[in-house]
Amino acid sequence: MTPKSAPSPWRDPVALLAAPAVLYLLVIYAFPLLWLFMKSLTGPTGFTLQPYVSFLGDPFNWRVVGNTLRVAAWVTVVCFLIGYPAAFALARAGAVLQIVMLVAIILPLSVGAVVKAFAWQIVLRRDGIVSQILVGLGFWDEPQRLLFTETGLVLGAANIFLPFMILPIYSVVKLIDPRLSEAGATLGATPLYRFAHVTLPLTLPGIVSGVAFVFSMSVSMFVIPSLLIGDRFQTLSTLTGRSFLLMRNEQLGSTTAVILLVLAVAIVVGSTWLARRIGGSTT
Amino acid sequence: MNKSKTAILNRRTVLAAAGAATAALAAPRILRAQGKELVVGGAASHKNFVETIIAPVVEKKFSCKVVFEGSRSLVNLEKMQKNKDKQYLSVVMMDDPVMIPAVAEGLLDPLTVAKVPNLAALKPGTVHMDGMWCNYLQPWLGIAYNPKAMKTAPTSWADAYDPKYKGRVILPSLQNTEGLANLFMAAFLATGKPMADAQKDVDAGFKKLVTIKPNLLTAYTQMPQAYNLLEQGEGFMISSAISQVALERKAAGAPVDIAVPKEGIFAMPSGVALVKGGPQPELAAGYINEMIGPEIQAKLSAATYSLPTNKDTPVPAGAPTNATIFGINWKFVADNRADWVKRWDRDMAM
Repeated sequence: MTPKSAPSPWRDPVALLAAPAVLYLLVIYAFPLLWLFMKSLTGPTGFTLQPYVSFLGDPFNWRVVGNTLRVAAWVTVVCFLIGYPAAFALARAGAVLQIVMLVAIILPLSVGAVVKAFAWQIVLRRDGIVSQILVGLGFWDEPQRLLFTETGLVLGAANIFLPFMILPIYSVVKLIDPRLSEAGATLGATPLYRFAHVTLPLTLPGIVSGVAFVFSMSVSMFVIPSLLIGDRFQTLSTLTGRSFLLMRNEQLGSTTAVILLVLAVAIVVGSTWLARRIGGSTT
Repeated sequence: MNKSKTAILNRRTVLAAAGAATAALAAPRILRAQGKELVVGGAASHKNFVETIIAPVVEKKFSCKVVFEGSRSLVNLEKMQKNKDKQYLSVVMMDDPVMIPAVAEGLLDPLTVAKVPNLAALKPGTVHMDGMWCNYLQPWLGIAYNPKAMKTAPTSWADAYDPKYKGRVILPSLQNTEGLANLFMAAFLATGKPMADAQKDVDAGFKKLVTIKPNLLTAYTQMPQAYNLLEQGEGFMISSAISQVALERKAAGAPVDIAVPKEGIFAMPSGVALVKGGPQPELAAGYINEMIGPEIQAKLSAATYSLPTNKDTPVPAGAPTNATIFGINWKFVADNRADWVKRWDRDMAM
């Protein structure tokens, strides 16, 4: 209607720049995913919902779903609690310190998850450093093992995924004008009020993407739980891996994979929507 | 100018590389056309002993060339399935559990004493399903332990259940082949029946196995992790460990040793078979015959810390001599394993 309105996305030649990425994702990701989904719905006699009915009819599998979601939620919470203040420190640091901090955050990403998981195995064992510190500080009476416990798994996974929480929040915090908070202060707002009504809503987009990254990575992690907690704690992804690799039961594997995908997408999309709504109402 | 030159060079490099790759891929075919050649499929981990111990003897005796393709048991099965009409493998070396589907799909030719005379010299229980395959080695399962953490070596499979080892015992997951031994041994300890009957009483086995949970440090799927824990002293013993792995660590100087429990040890599956319709069938039979003959058996068992299957071959130094050796009924395992793994998940969960 108005002369300045953007051209329809279908006519915009710039949109064509996304074509290689779209094509790549279609071929490598979307079609196989669709195939996986179809596989989970195909029985010996055609279309069937039986794999889902029998999977969800088994209480043990609900425990597996619970394990998966609980651990992913804890990892996300721990990453947020550590990562949110760290992102501010990073964004407000001087030039040299900022580079040092960025390198410190990004460089560990080049060390594979397997290596880190092995390192955590040393840290979390009975005579490991965590146990020694807690005994030394008087929290524990005797050395205890954190390795192969849920706490150990959450600590290890949070360490591995932390950069994916810090970096998106950092990129948003960097753009916030510090004077906004000062302006609030001149108007008599308490620090807590300024945080809740100025800073937090402005950082919400960063939080949303950080949470989405960390949650979806930790809900689907496979190598880390198999090394830090072992075979006695099944999650949807370890169950999927085993169905394909060991039991050669492609139908069970594709069923658990689809359930995992649906749950992860639902939670990420749902929490994003919720965050936007809450964010919208406070600003 | 400069830029276009680089581009041309790149194109040339790519073309040259492509040509080299084609030549490399075609080379085995050219070799094959030249003389007698025997293609053997096996696991990647077999490559070393096939090429240094078996191939030299076979090549000299039959003046042929042994080509070894190392992958995994399941990959060998797929190679045979895909080439059913025109096999190029003559011999396959696979784990026993994978031999069963190969037999079911008619991919193997039975071994007979007429074709493979040394078959007659094999220990009882090492020729399976009327000669469809035989075992050329018996790596064995005992209890690996850390001699620094445990002053006295474990003497019985029941030791892993002793409350004094709370949180110190490592088990293989039931999805690892070596993990099956624990289930059968638990049934044996619980029922007191002979092993052949006890291993069918899986229910009793699970009921006993559950009582080990307070002692469990972890159930592993990745073996290096288990040895890492053992060598660091966090774990005291790996109940049902493969002799070859434990003794290789010991030879490397790690604080690891393997005990032979008084009840006995389990023999692990290392099978060899003739591919049905494979090229050079006589040569293939000759290869298997040499493999289970006394000369190669002695070298092979020493190099792999395993037991020979030829009864005329002396047991290598350091290997158990008088221990009872339990076999595993692989057909029964193949039919039921998926259900057992399911039950293991439920019963052994934290």
